[in-house]
Amino acid sequence: MTTPSPKYCPEDRPELSRRSFLKTGLGGAMFLSTVSMTAGLTGCATAPAGRVSAVDSRMDASYQFEFLSRDDIALFEALLPAMFAGALPEEPNQRQHAIAGTIERIDQGIVMFGPANQKELRKLFDLLNFAPTRITLARVWSDWPSVSTESAEAFLNRWRDSRIGLLNNGYIALTKISNVAFYGHDAHWHLSGYPGPPAWAVDALPQFHNA
Amino acid sequence: MSMNDPIARGLASGWNVTDASKLTTDQTVEADVVVIGTGAGGGTTAEILARQGLSVILVEEGRLYYQKDFKMDELTSYASLYQEGMSRVTADGAIAILQGRCVGGSTTVNWTSSFRTPDETLNYWSQNLGLSDLAPDTMAPWFQGREERHTMAPWVTPPNLNNDILKQGCEKLGYSWQVIPRNVKGCWNLGYCGVGCPTNAKQGALMTTIPGALDNNAQLFHGLRADRLVMNQDRIDHLQASAMGPNGVTPSGVTVTLKARHFVVAASAIGSPGLLLRSELPDPYKRVGKRSFIHPVNATVARMPAKVDPFYGAPQSIYSDEFNFKHGVDGPVGYKLEVPPLHPAMAAGVVPGHGQEQRDNLGQLPWMQSVIALLRDGFHEDSPGGTVSLRDDGSPVLDYPITDYLWQGIRQAYLDMAEIQFAAGAEAVQAVHLDSGWYTSWTQAKDAINQLPMKPHRARLFTAHQMGGCGMGADPKNSVVNGFGEHHQVANLSIHDASIFPTSIGANPQLSVYALAARNSNRLAQKLSGA
Ligand SMILES: Cc1cc2nc3c(=O)[nH]c(=O)nc-3n(C[C@H](O)[C@H](O)[C@H](O)COP(=O)(O)OP(=O)(O)OC[C@H]3O[C@@H](n4cnc5c(N)ncnc54)[C@H](O)[C@@H]3O)c2cc1C
Ligand code: SF4
Repeated sequence: MTTPSPKYCPEDRPELSRRSFLKTGLGGAMFLSTVSMTAGLTGCATAPAGRVSAVDSRMDASYQFEFLSRDDIALFEALLPAMFAGALPEEPNQRQHAIAGTIERIDQGIVMFGPANQKELRKLFDLLNFAPTRITLARVWSDWPSVSTESAEAFLNRWRDSRIGLLNNGYIALTKISNVAFYGHDAHWHLSGYPGPPAWAVDALPQFHNA
Repeated sequence: MSMNDPIARGLASGWNVTDASKLTTDQTVEADVVVIGTGAGGGTTAEILARQGLSVILVEEGRLYYQKDFKMDELTSYASLYQEGMSRVTADGAIAILQGRCVGGSTTVNWTSSFRTPDETLNYWSQNLGLSDLAPDTMAPWFQGREERHTMAPWVTPPNLNNDILKQGCEKLGYSWQVIPRNVKGCWNLGYCGVGCPTNAKQGALMTTIPGALDNNAQLFHGLRADRLVMNQDRIDHLQASAMGPNGVTPSGVTVTLKARHFVVAASAIGSPGLLLRSELPDPYKRVGKRSFIHPVNATVARMPAKVDPFYGAPQSIYSDEFNFKHGVDGPVGYKLEVPPLHPAMAAGVVPGHGQEQRDNLGQLPWMQSVIALLRDGFHEDSPGGTVSLRDDGSPVLDYPITDYLWQGIRQAYLDMAEIQFAAGAEAVQAVHLDSGWYTSWTQAKDAINQLPMKPHRARLFTAHQMGGCGMGADPKNSVVNGFGEHHQVANLSIHDASIFPTSIGANPQLSVYALAARNSNRLAQKLSGA
């Protein structure tokens, strides 16, 4: 086995070529030969964002991103308000906080997916962030920071309802990682009426009390 | 940490346990037997061999987690205890694969249902695959021995409502149902089996065979991934393994070489064929990775008038075999009906959706009930299973095409499950399928389910039971190991896990794995001690 690099840098970013294009797995086997994808993505947009300054993106600057790039973060900032319509707090600060925390937990989750599925997600996110593919496959015309919640919602519906299984798969990947990171978080348990682990058991079990 | 915890106590007493993430230099170790994987098969094997006085090294790619870590939290558990942080899927992404990756393997996260291999399955194997040694009466003592070792008994506490609804629905419709035997001792009936039992009640490998092996001087490396078995002439000379870094998934660069007289592979389905493929072991008939089975699972959810609280209580306590062998062993596909536990992250990940609709669905979680069908794959020529191959980085991936034969069973199972839920008083039922709405009557559900497209991605499918890929059989032309798990071509290699099943089991597989591993390990112990 090769020793996979934990971080994605431009050098080892998977080539998006005409022939193999999100071929398999988690991200969605998106072999669409009609799409011409020769342009190498330039710049360092897909490098992990690391510590994103609070001014820059309103993220908690103490969190160190290990997988998501700045573009990915922007993508999720655009998608999550549609993903969690009716579930996110209305109050702007709390809302921003809930979105930022969810994106951080998405990042943490993906780190544990391991190299192979990370590669799949990298392809999926690159595809959504690269204008020509974003336009042709997602039919999202503007870049993510300027996408409205309505357009994000329309995009999610398109991929869910598409007759192309590969796009359905992309939808499942995006919603699954987001749903788990959001509804699985203890601050959001109330949304699913889950009271959490029974208090009597927590009281009785040694691992909840630092001896 | 509580010294009532057998793992904490054992570690304090000086068990030979190495956290490979702490290693800073490459090293070479040696034993009589190296066992790869610490789940149902690996744990059983290590304990039996170590008790015979053989020196044993256990190699586990996941980490050692135990009571101090089991805090009934989904997010941390899915990330650390499951393969690929719970993101494992089939090659096309259409089937989600739940599989353990920690000391104890899938038994650390399984739902404790404990079934013997059905007689129909054993008879099919003995009649069709030359495995007459595995007939029900010869296997019975091995099942019994493992039932005792893992404290398996029918669950006497009343089922939670989630399970009781399956029972009620079956009773209304005149379908058979039974109480599930569970491998627990002093269970608190909490319902967190899937995230690591917080009370140590679950008698999986972690509470039984792993301590048994370590008490008998076995050595355990955790956070160490078996990369390659290396041959010298016609025997395996050593195993090459990579230490994982502190996060458990990224290799640290340190390697360990493990030498032994005999090697037992127990990395389970997907994992074991993956290791054999990476090692490029002799495979003259190209059998490795073929005929991989998964008990494909589909599900329906129901909204009940009363609170179900499907997150609390023993997760599985009632099952129905009404449809399992209804059309014989090799007719249209049969399925076992069971119930899954529903916690928020699991429910939110499994029920696909977004926006207000998803929020509304999940808001009903306390009233939600779910039934799952586990399809018995591999008994019919139109159900040849999937194939394991290697990805660019050497990790294994399962390609599992869903045949029309299986789709017919999936549709029929949606129908049967919905009918049962309505019979039990459901207000509404939804198939876990991208095109399903909430149906408010059985007639409406029946019409709609009959129209649902049976297509990958649209029907949401899962598996928690990976089997096959290194199938056993008398004939090397269509199998990898013989009926004792001994590799057909390599003399000092055995496989003791779910990957040797030549078809699926037709019941939750842990007891099948334990029993076969016990039988095959006893034989191996005799051979190695005699030699
Ligand atoms: C959520 C869930 C619920 C389940 N519920 C039930 C149930 O109620 N009843 C039941 O009977 N069955 C259940 N099962 C299935 C059952 O636990 C498995 O069938 C059984 O544990 C398989 O045994 P095994 O020895 O083949 O593999 P496992 O027990 O999975 O052990 C294999 C081990 O090998 C390790 N490994 C893999 N590759 C490598 C490598 N390269 N190097 C080192 N180590 C490696 C893995 O990390 C793992 O720890 C469930 C499974 C899951 C995931
Ligand atoms: S239900 Fe029993 S076995 Fe399962 S986690 Fe709770 S105490 Fe452990």
